[in-house]
Amino acid sequence: MAFLVAFLVACLASGAYAGPSTIKNEQAATPEGTAQERDKVFNAESFMLDNGMEVVVIENHRAPVVTHMVWYKFGAADEPAGKSGIAHFLEHLMFKGSAQIGGRDLKPGEFSEIVRSMGGNDNAFTGQDYISYFQSVPSEHLETVMRMEAGRINGLKPPADEVLSERKVILEERKQRTDNDPRGQFGEQLAAVAFINHPYGIPVIGWKHEMDALSYDDAKAFYDRWYAPNNAILVVSGDVTPGRVFDLAIRIYGQLPREDVPERHRTRSPVLNSHTSVALEHPAIREPVVQSLFRVPSARQNRQDSLALEVLEEILGGGPTSRLYKSLVVDRKIASNAGMVYSPAAWDDSSVWIYATPLEGQTLDTVQKALMDELRKLIKDGVGKHELRDAKARMQDEAIYARDSLTGPAMVIGAGLATGRSLDDIEYWPYDIGAVSAEQVVAVASMFLNPDKPTDHPPVSGYLLPKAEGEK
Amino acid sequence: MRGLLYLAFIALLFIAAPAQAFAQTKNGVLDIQEVTSEKGMTAWLVEDHSVPVIAMKFGWRGAGAALDPVDKQGLARMLSNTLDEGAGALDSQAFQKALRDDVISLGFSASRDDFTGALKTLTKNKERAFELTALALSKPRFDKDAVERMRQSNQSRIRSSLSDPDWMAARLVNDKAFEGHPYALNSGGTLSSLERIQPADLKKLHQATLGRNNLSVAVAGDITAEELRDVLDQVFAHLPEVQLPEMKDLGVQNEGKVFLYRRDIPQSVIEIMQPGIGRDDPRFHTAQVMNFVLGSSGFGSRLTREIREKRGLTYGIYSNFYELTHFKGLAVSTSTANKNVGEMLSLIKGEFNRMVNTPISADELKDAQSYLIGSLPLSLTSSDKIAGLMNSLQLEGLPIDYLDQRKKAIEATNIQDIQTLAKALLAPEKFVTIIVGAPEGLDDAVTVKSLPHVE
Repeated sequence: MAFLVAFLVACLASGAYAGPSTIKNEQAATPEGTAQERDKVFNAESFMLDNGMEVVVIENHRAPVVTHMVWYKFGAADEPAGKSGIAHFLEHLMFKGSAQIGGRDLKPGEFSEIVRSMGGNDNAFTGQDYISYFQSVPSEHLETVMRMEAGRINGLKPPADEVLSERKVILEERKQRTDNDPRGQFGEQLAAVAFINHPYGIPVIGWKHEMDALSYDDAKAFYDRWYAPNNAILVVSGDVTPGRVFDLAIRIYGQLPREDVPERHRTRSPVLNSHTSVALEHPAIREPVVQSLFRVPSARQNRQDSLALEVLEEILGGGPTSRLYKSLVVDRKIASNAGMVYSPAAWDDSSVWIYATPLEGQTLDTVQKALMDELRKLIKDGVGKHELRDAKARMQDEAIYARDSLTGPAMVIGAGLATGRSLDDIEYWPYDIGAVSAEQVVAVASMFLNPDKPTDHPPVSGYLLPKAEGEK
Repeated sequence: MRGLLYLAFIALLFIAAPAQAFAQTKNGVLDIQEVTSEKGMTAWLVEDHSVPVIAMKFGWRGAGAALDPVDKQGLARMLSNTLDEGAGALDSQAFQKALRDDVISLGFSASRDDFTGALKTLTKNKERAFELTALALSKPRFDKDAVERMRQSNQSRIRSSLSDPDWMAARLVNDKAFEGHPYALNSGGTLSSLERIQPADLKKLHQATLGRNNLSVAVAGDITAEELRDVLDQVFAHLPEVQLPEMKDLGVQNEGKVFLYRRDIPQSVIEIMQPGIGRDDPRFHTAQVMNFVLGSSGFGSRLTREIREKRGLTYGIYSNFYELTHFKGLAVSTSTANKNVGEMLSLIKGEFNRMVNTPISADELKDAQSYLIGSLPLSLTSSDKIAGLMNSLQLEGLPIDYLDQRKKAIEATNIQDIQTLAKALLAPEKFVTIIVGAPEGLDDAVTVKSLPHVE
């Protein structure tokens, strides 16, 4: 499900590019005519409240349930210097007591307990470019979760003693995700090098030494600065009509005042000219991994380039019949796995990861060169007519699967809108993919992934390696 | 949180989770039809024509990894990896390309007990999808090349997992709690056992375990009962009758012992197993409600409130029933900084004892019942999920109206029965405890030198 996955990868990962637009927009017109006549993927309806909060509804009457999500248009990349992890820490504190529209204040933990007692589930996640809170509940409880969620937009009320214990929780979370496994540390350090002087180089969870010092005041300052209805998107998917959602949203979210919020303004990476390698040797590692991280445009930065990169991903990295897997794993038998991942959902530069797991007896250099040779080959010889047609047809068909879900469409739309795409960009994505040409695919490979012609942000190669016990 | 054990929990939760009447269905929770083909194959079907997608889940009861020979651990897993690697005239790349070109998703997997398959297709490609599935089941090739590739991929997966403490803890809890039983082996294979698996072994296993008599099929989505009848015969009727070996039931082994696998990491991973309760026990639903209050519910559970919310000792703590065909357990999974391991273990025991010694409150009962009943529709929001839920019920041998029975049974649970059950079941002195990490102040642990059934 490349369509869905491509959007979701960005939840944990991050990405980015700040270079010039490369491909002119001449391919954008589709043969099918105007937007109004074309089929949409999700048939979502949208609406803007007077206070600037956007509301999107995806009807789906399969089961008597709804997913209710509020997406904020800022994230960990908008933290102040030295306070890494504060966006995510605050996300945890949002469950520790808050106001409710048209009801009494909620005690710590009570938000989730009420959702559970309805037969629902709730949670939240923090990315570099967005923070999202969601509940999936039987449809008759939509109004209640709206009242509770709206109350958190400007009515956070966590008691002080809950703050210290929650800081311990996020430190345990960091250990579990990162410190306990060298693979986690490796990914964190690769991104740090690839995104020098850009916040995407800082992990969403935070650096441990900065997390240790995070305070309630830090969280409150971030909260006051960024949280506002005009900085949020409401997405509701499920057994409800757009009219009913708009009506409830006006009555509940519409009570909140518009607030002044800052622009997303991030520091930028300088132009670099060194090719960097990151190597982590660790005694717990038994299986080496080779990967390269390239900085490429996100969909917001350059829509045409981003669409072409998605097609390139399908051709190079789309499963067991893709070029990378076929070449390294099936034909040459030098790796047990190989692939490419690109995620278009980012506010700044996005990333392409190209990776392989070498078979025993193969040197890392051999495998790394084989990966780069596949890029060279595509840049030199181009993409076949049938290869392109089949890749695009598969991607378009996969968009149909994305509809067979309650939460999936809300995730795709929320992440897309929060990273600067329009609803039409998402709804007509299959048509836009259909219009990508072979020349565009080769051009993005040549411009952003050319091993012999690095960009202003050269790729970072990573090597995760075993190290014998006792070696220092 | 990953790990073999944890994945199994998700499967269990899925069934154990949740129910409430559907506005749009006439026959209770889920409108399931039983479809029988001309040649006597049966399937459960939920028709839904709102999205042009068909999902089919099928499973062979008793054909799972527990049958693997000790020297060929990972055999069932390898069969699941190679069944879609070429069939009939199509070699591996041709078969995968045929699936890929029509965006058909076909995959197999082996749990300890069962062998399962999952097919998902767009309606417009359904004929090709059923044809390829039939081909994979009737004429798999097991080409040397493809088998070798899957072997290498499994060995690579095992070596990669060796830096994952959750995986190591799961490996150890299986080894210790199931000691002496086939369940204790590594269902994913070992580095050396995978080396011994040949195409002939896969051919033999395929013929011996994937029968028509141990098969269950569940389908949801854009297909009619009429069409499905023919599909059942086309895809499955050729399967042979099979006879699978008997397997012994098993209780928790190594009760009361603590095992430590020392690793130089900042956080210790903890897995606990104690005796559980099976679905055939009349107290099963009482146990589900009790455990919701104790630890299966995450936010709001007693374990989470006391250990995460109040004290900040962990990012996550869960207790879950762990049910296999021949084993019933109750497991607790968590992790905490090395210096807190002792405190964590006594807090967990304290919460077990509190559940035994004091009745749960009326609010706790009401909230648990209302969640377990009310959240079922959340498991029924896509063709995939509906087919998967039905197939799990079938593989557990449950009746077609189970979801309706379940609702009544949960409504009938009460505080007194829950406490009686807690007294009979919860037993911290029976915990087999696995710790992976560098815990401080742990004197009574048996040190494990190396992970069993990995190399």
